[in-house]
Amino acid sequence: MLARISRRLAGLLATLFAASFVIFAAVYAAPGDPAVFLAGGRDKLTPERLASVRAQYHLDEPLVVQYGRWLWDCVHLDLGRSFQYSDQVGDLVSARLPTTLQLVAYATVLFVVLGVGAGILAAVRRSTWVDSAIVGGTTLAASVPSFVAAIALVSLFGVQLGWFPVTGSGTGIAGTLHHLTLPALSLALGALAIISRVTRQAMADAAASDHVEAARASGVPERDIIRRHVLRNALGPIVTMCGLVMAGMLAGTVVVETAFGLSGIGSLLVGSINAHDFPVAQAVLLLMVTGYVVVTTVVDLVHPLLDPRVKEVRPA
Amino acid sequence: MTTHSDRRRGATAVLAAATLLTVGACSGADTTSGTGGASADAAKLALSPTTPAAKGTLARADWLLEDEPDSLDLDTQGTSAGRVVLTNVCERLYQLQPDMTTKPFLASSAKTSADGRTLTLTVRSGVTFHDGSKLTADDVLWSLKRHADPDMEQSDEFGNVSSMKKTGADEITIGFKAPDALFTKALAGDAGIVWNKEQVEKAGQDFGTPGQADACSGPYALKNWKSGDSITIAAYGGYWGKKPLTREVVFRWAADSALVNALKTGAADGAYAETPNTAAALLKDKDIAQHYGPSTASLVLIPTARGGLGDERIRRALSLSLDRKGIADSGYGGLVEPWATPVGSGAWGYEKAGFQAAQKQLASLAPASPTADDLAEAKKLVKEAGTPGAPLVIGTDASQGRTVTANAVRAALQRIGLKAQIKTVPTSQFEEFYSDPQARDEIDLLVGDWYISKADPMGFYDNGLSDSSNNWVGFKDATYDKNVKKALATLDDAERASLAIDVQKRFADAAVWIPIAQVPTILLLDAKLTGPTASQAYLYYPWAAELGTKRSA
Repeated sequence: MLARISRRLAGLLATLFAASFVIFAAVYAAPGDPAVFLAGGRDKLTPERLASVRAQYHLDEPLVVQYGRWLWDCVHLDLGRSFQYSDQVGDLVSARLPTTLQLVAYATVLFVVLGVGAGILAAVRRSTWVDSAIVGGTTLAASVPSFVAAIALVSLFGVQLGWFPVTGSGTGIAGTLHHLTLPALSLALGALAIISRVTRQAMADAAASDHVEAARASGVPERDIIRRHVLRNALGPIVTMCGLVMAGMLAGTVVVETAFGLSGIGSLLVGSINAHDFPVAQAVLLLMVTGYVVVTTVVDLVHPLLDPRVKEVRPA
Repeated sequence: MTTHSDRRRGATAVLAAATLLTVGACSGADTTSGTGGASADAAKLALSPTTPAAKGTLARADWLLEDEPDSLDLDTQGTSAGRVVLTNVCERLYQLQPDMTTKPFLASSAKTSADGRTLTLTVRSGVTFHDGSKLTADDVLWSLKRHADPDMEQSDEFGNVSSMKKTGADEITIGFKAPDALFTKALAGDAGIVWNKEQVEKAGQDFGTPGQADACSGPYALKNWKSGDSITIAAYGGYWGKKPLTREVVFRWAADSALVNALKTGAADGAYAETPNTAAALLKDKDIAQHYGPSTASLVLIPTARGGLGDERIRRALSLSLDRKGIADSGYGGLVEPWATPVGSGAWGYEKAGFQAAQKQLASLAPASPTADDLAEAKKLVKEAGTPGAPLVIGTDASQGRTVTANAVRAALQRIGLKAQIKTVPTSQFEEFYSDPQARDEIDLLVGDWYISKADPMGFYDNGLSDSSNNWVGFKDATYDKNVKKALATLDDAERASLAIDVQKRFADAAVWIPIAQVPTILLLDAKLTGPTASQAYLYYPWAAELGTKRSA
């Protein structure tokens, strides 16, 4: 186990290293000149001024040199200062991270509870109207992009009915839940269909296995069969899919954050890309990659614990 | 700094589609105005610099910004969002009044020598910074020198300054290479902020970032900046001037639709709208009062010398055939006003009547809606110039107003027999057109906007000088150059106004830039509240101090 974890960790670092270079190059290659934003007002945009700004921020050096400089600082735990905010990148990110994490966590709870619940219900009531209603309803939900869902939820529950606040992330546990309900719901809506579909299918596969047939034949109550045999065996793919969807959400909150006026990582990323704020864009993108890799790694590590069969086929 | 980029304005263009849908969903999409709300009548916009005075006090106001300020150090990063907050916290040597005139402020008095080459400022006594320390002439001198540092945003305001010295216990004397008519106006802007030297030096590189104290003497002190969440300012007990009506202001930020929704649901008490479209979405809302005030901002077309528009006659023909009222109505909900000069009426900080009459006279060169005569004249001009072969390329980004404008320009060009095409670039690339001649090689015309920070048209017309980097068409007029320089060195207002009107006419005749509309300052305010300035002075005047309830409690 320990060897596997350390191997995983080395893989994680290698992934991050490769990702950091790709991201650096991509941000660098994005159209637009950061010096324009750094120089100040439009009447200061003389070629001399732009050249001096480029020199000041080392923007005139080759890509690899700039990347090396960044990596060196990064290894020394210095993510640099934002071009735009002149604040430490670390401070900027850590101020906004809680909002995004809370949002993703809330959305995850929603889509796991509702999605898995709906999937189980559909599997248990297979080929009835309940099954059709769940499949139809979740398909409809999945076809609505999150920004459309956000708009609909805001105008109905925020503006018309006034039940939920329309901006900000709130303070305290109750306030945060109140503020983040609509954003989390719009984020979770698209995931519902995937999770319920995966749950339904995994349950169906598990229900068709021989030992379930055997258990049923030996008179084990249906409740116990579903709980102990079907659901347990189906958990692997369900957890994997939940993990993947949640990891994807870490990078996908920007639209919802903007629609609800939340200052999170997503809106920080879009702002930094628009302003060519390299240090911030680089840090946020890297954070998102890290989040994704960590969550998927954890899922991978947890998987064999849920389903002993997985461990056997894996080379030790 | 005479001009500012509005780089924040389109920061969320990625989400433009989402935004438009939201605005539509909130107030019922109206396809004729395209802004989702009722359309105001552009011709009847009444601009008032102030709102009625408040009678009651307010414990706390929730205010919205379109974006989080980059920094609260306006010397290193000056953006509108930062100014809206800091104008209540920091004070300047001069103060811009809501009617766009300026007067000495932290300088209790100012004297200009007869030859206009020295300015002597007396530092106001009895003023304390928010840390309780006394404001001194040393702080003033140190602040001026900081502003003048070449790396700082305001350094270009000090181009004419030859010396800055402390000449008495409370006296600073500034020497000039040549008289500078705009210098005292700059002192009412960010170049005149007086910092508490000790606090700025103590914070070092972190000055102006979240978690740092302010270094100013204004009616409010910075209480707290929670990065990514909110900024709170609170009335300063030791303030030397009038006690503010509102005790505390909490600033939050939201873009486009989120801003509209926050105002609609009462989550915020007010905001200065950076785009007319935000206000247009709220026109039907009776709980939100809209106040329009004079500003220097304008919508303009900026031609390049690349294709046919290098010819003055084609530029004039385009100006004559452009449907400005159509652009104002469909692109901006009627909240901008067809206009014949490249600066809005907020630039008239003196000799208002003269400037007003001059602007009206130029309307024949830039009609609100072109008449048959205008079109005939335009076609004649095109014929004289010879029709350019390649289609004219109109540079724009995907924002609503600019898209409408670009289409209107194409329609106008087609009406006078010229081919045109639209080139849309991402917002992040759009700003580059202003700075990079190489980027401009791809376009004949930029759908732009512009504003100046000083209430003086001469703050704009140096853009038409033959060696200016903003003179893209290569406009050359020796008399123009001579008169601009003369006006910039003329301290007498009446004399400078007549020179300004002369250069303005030359600029318009040659259609160096093609004006479309003036953009007012728009204050969106809870209908129960009143008091703040409605003019562009909100960037430089402590508007929150006058915010209060309509009725006394």
